[in-house]
Amino acid sequence: MIVDATWPAVVQAYLRAVLVDRAHLLLFSFAPGWRLLGVQGDPAVYGLAPYGPEGLQALQDLFVGLPLDRDQDIPFVELANGRSAHVHLVADDDGFHVLLLDAEEARSHERVQQQLVHEAVIASHAKSKAIGQLKDIRDELDRQRSSLEEANALKNALIATLSHEFRTPLTAIFGYLHLVERRAFADATSRQALQAVRRSATYLFALAENLLEYGRGEAGGALLNPVEVDLAALLADVEAMFAPLAEAKGVRFHATLASEDATPPRFDEVKLRQILVNLLSNAVRYTASGEIGLALDWRRRHLVVEVRDSGIGIAPEFVGQVFKPFNRGAQAGCKGAGLGLSIVRRLVEQMHGTLALESEPGQGTHFRIELPSVASIASAAEVPGLRGHRALVVDDDPDVAQLLEVLLEDLGFEVEVLGEAAPAIARAAASRPDLLLVDVELPGLSGNAVVYQLRAQGYRGPVVALSANATTDARDASLRAGANHYLTKPLNLERFAAVVRRAVGEGAKEAT
Amino acid sequence: MNASSCKVCMLGDFGVGKTSLVARYVRSTFSDKYLTTVGVKVDSKEVALPGCEPVKLVLWDIAGRSALDAPSTSYLRGASALLLVADGTREASLSSALNLLMQSRSTLPDAVAVLAVNKLDIVERWEVAATTLAEMRRSLPVFETSALSGAGVEDAFAEIARRLVG
Repeated sequence: MIVDATWPAVVQAYLRAVLVDRAHLLLFSFAPGWRLLGVQGDPAVYGLAPYGPEGLQALQDLFVGLPLDRDQDIPFVELANGRSAHVHLVADDDGFHVLLLDAEEARSHERVQQQLVHEAVIASHAKSKAIGQLKDIRDELDRQRSSLEEANALKNALIATLSHEFRTPLTAIFGYLHLVERRAFADATSRQALQAVRRSATYLFALAENLLEYGRGEAGGALLNPVEVDLAALLADVEAMFAPLAEAKGVRFHATLASEDATPPRFDEVKLRQILVNLLSNAVRYTASGEIGLALDWRRRHLVVEVRDSGIGIAPEFVGQVFKPFNRGAQAGCKGAGLGLSIVRRLVEQMHGTLALESEPGQGTHFRIELPSVASIASAAEVPGLRGHRALVVDDDPDVAQLLEVLLEDLGFEVEVLGEAAPAIARAAASRPDLLLVDVELPGLSGNAVVYQLRAQGYRGPVVALSANATTDARDASLRAGANHYLTKPLNLERFAAVVRRAVGEGAKEAT
Repeated sequence: MNASSCKVCMLGDFGVGKTSLVARYVRSTFSDKYLTTVGVKVDSKEVALPGCEPVKLVLWDIAGRSALDAPSTSYLRGASALLLVADGTREASLSSALNLLMQSRSTLPDAVAVLAVNKLDIVERWEVAATTLAEMRRSLPVFETSALSGAGVEDAFAEIARRLVG
């Protein structure tokens, strides 16, 4: 013991006073059976009232089940008034003592530390749980995204397949229409019948184009393919297509062309035609009487397209909806796929143009589109005459092959046709034609493989790939394989001729 | 007539609701503020069971997790029963409760043991599977409790009293 009787009496007294004061020492002395013999210290400090009704029951409870003839030590006991004490039982010969030492300061300190640790652990558990839940949510979103991507890919594949299925027979229909019209029948009935066939085929073509355009999405179809457009011919085409339809309903159809710019207009003709066809299809569909007017105005390298009708019009609340795909509810009594105007808007955007719509229910609708010409595209190079040039056509579809043969012969070519890849490679390698036209979708070895192998064998002549697949990916694949040009079916005859001329011209330049 | 007193120790991980269960059982109160227990707090409640002598449960609310650390072992001595407490939203707390039970067996080989899985009021956030508790009921009385609503609390303590008397 540090302090004993050898210490000065005053120091012993001082130390006892300090320790008792700081530790709030409280001592109860008991005879057996918890009979209180005496108290030293202040019981009120710990909320104890030894002479109250409850007596020292709380103190007795602490020692339930414990032997009272042996020393006991219970640290950090929270007593009735909330104060903490270290409670000691000290056995004596004829009873026992219970000693309380204040532990409040130590308990408070300990509590602050433990509270921080426990709260941190609980928060960490909650955080881990939340992270786990977020991970689950992310995994679920990933699964849903994959599922959506798969569904979208399936949709695009379906649309591309449908479009392809449309295009392949249409190639033959348009081609033979062209041939039949060139060998024109004299009688009016036949001409009308041919016009009806052309109209229906054109409608089918527009439908296939719209489907494909929709399937391409916002970015896929943005590539422009500008050519010099004969606006008069275009106007005549669409007039021939829609005037009879309007007139059959008793609606007057008029088309006008104003051209104040001597520069040849250059546009993506397929897209431009698609815009006109869609706008006029709608005008004819929703106009029961009155008139439909189409006006093309080419000035200052801008083409203004206006389509007016005196149809049912569009209610103001639906104006925003008509440009959304599959909007069949936007106009009362409407028919069709509900794709037309959404595609018009998309095409106009792709061509960097503007689109305005004015409409009044019962009065009619007025679309105004302004398209800038693609002036940056260089004009096609001058090419020498094609007479006497040799062309090799490789296409397994005999109808298409024959059509290509006729068209090329019209352009002055001597044409050879083959339907399979392997003989075509051998023939082209041997004869070195001035032009090679290859269908990409050949059975067995693809057209792209044919072109690639020929290039690998040193063939440097112009190659035009033909395909019913109008996607950018398909086009890029053919060009990477070595084709100089890529044309989609059904063929736009003017464009076909222009491409053939350009290809041969390039080939001639390269040969020199 | 004085009831016989039995010491009951509350054992479980920190934050599982031992103090709250005692507050609910003894004082019918609840506070959602978490205040960690340091050391021990002793409360008591007399239980009258039909056809039996009344029994006074002296409840030792012992600080969580460190209950069996060297200084805390003294808290267990003399206990007749253990109320093991787990938090249904923290599966790990169930393992802790069972570990504490196994460790306490060296000090209290014959003590009555009952398991309370607390926080039944937020059962939708529970990690502890119902099948787990079904399996545990084969070897231990298990009560799903809520100190907040009081659900299952009386039953858990009454079960302890029954087993102590019986």
